[in-house]
Amino acid sequence: MTLRRAALAIVFCMTSASAQAHTVVAGVGGFAGGLLHPLLVPAHVLVLLTLGLIAGQQSAAHRRILIPLLPVALIAAVILIVRAAAFDSQNSLLALCAICGLLLALARPLPVIVPGALIAAGGVLLMLDSVPALISVQDTLVALTGTAFSALVLFILFVALSARLNQPWQQTGRRIVGSWAAASAILVLALRLVK
Amino acid sequence: MRFFILAVIACGVAAGPAFAHSEGGLAGGFSGGFLHPLFGLDHVVAMVAVGLWGAFLGAPAIFLLPIVFPLVMALGGILGILGIPLPGVEIGIAASAVVLGLMVALAAKPRLAIAAVLVGLFAIFHGYAHGAELPDGADAVAYSLGFVIATGLLHLAGIAFGLLAQWPSGRFAVRAAGSAIAITGLVFLGRLI
Repeated sequence: MTLRRAALAIVFCMTSASAQAHTVVAGVGGFAGGLLHPLLVPAHVLVLLTLGLIAGQQSAAHRRILIPLLPVALIAAVILIVRAAAFDSQNSLLALCAICGLLLALARPLPVIVPGALIAAGGVLLMLDSVPALISVQDTLVALTGTAFSALVLFILFVALSARLNQPWQQTGRRIVGSWAAASAILVLALRLVK
Repeated sequence: MRFFILAVIACGVAAGPAFAHSEGGLAGGFSGGFLHPLFGLDHVVAMVAVGLWGAFLGAPAIFLLPIVFPLVMALGGILGILGIPLPGVEIGIAASAVVLGLMVALAAKPRLAIAAVLVGLFAIFHGYAHGAELPDGADAVAYSLGFVIATGLLHLAGIAFGLLAQWPSGRFAVRAAGSAIAITGLVFLGRLI
């Protein structure tokens, strides 16, 4: 897929009609509902964006380690969900997003374990926050498969975009996006913790 | 690459309100947050002045400003959310337009640390006002993203206009814009006092 097509795909996804999460779109359930979930929940988009940008900020050798970590985390989360239960992980997702945004804004070299841990945690938390309410285990698995698929595609797109940002002004732009994401996440986290 | 960036900006501008995990509807969505800073003239002129001044100060201020400002603004936002009293918020916002406008009008180039402290101080007042008005609910993510991006774009607009200062006539235009911002700030300040 070319970058141009990928951009168009994101435009179509993000400018589509409004939707309700956890039934995600009224009347759309199952795999399609799960597929739409990470695209329609702002906190999920923000987490995938910051994780993708951080992974893309690393060297090519580190990226080869970091990219497979997300599917591993997503699968681990599905196993956790089947064995235990989901919980509201929005606060944890926002905290993770704030950390990722701050690291992006700082733009300092990181040992691979730091983005690795963030990606693993992000994958698990995102899935725990995507469990559809009141449906069978089989339907839950189908929906979560869709969620995992679109989360992975979005993550890879953001990694690919970030890895291409070689010019100084582009790297400044990435730091600005990180700063904006961190500021938003910090504000909303504070609001949620207070109210 | 340029197409990709334009596409992402188009997403932000064209996206309808996201009702995902919604408790607030349109008021809590991206559009509401994006429009919020644009409807307060005192906010708008101060944010543009920050960008103009950054362009005057040159590197590294011009790069650091849009990165650091939202983070300091978020700290002010936390104070507002926590309800910690901060006296003279509206006066501080109006004063930010006066002081920053004057800095641009006078083409002042203080040391980076002094400029950073000054801008950071005003960022706390602006953040406080935004934080106190942040809607409750998970849709606050879209709302806060909207107003942080709008604020950042106002900075970038100021920086873009400020880049004209490399030509003599452009420098005059930028300093004139600084004067206009300072006068606007004085009008707001006069109404408050």
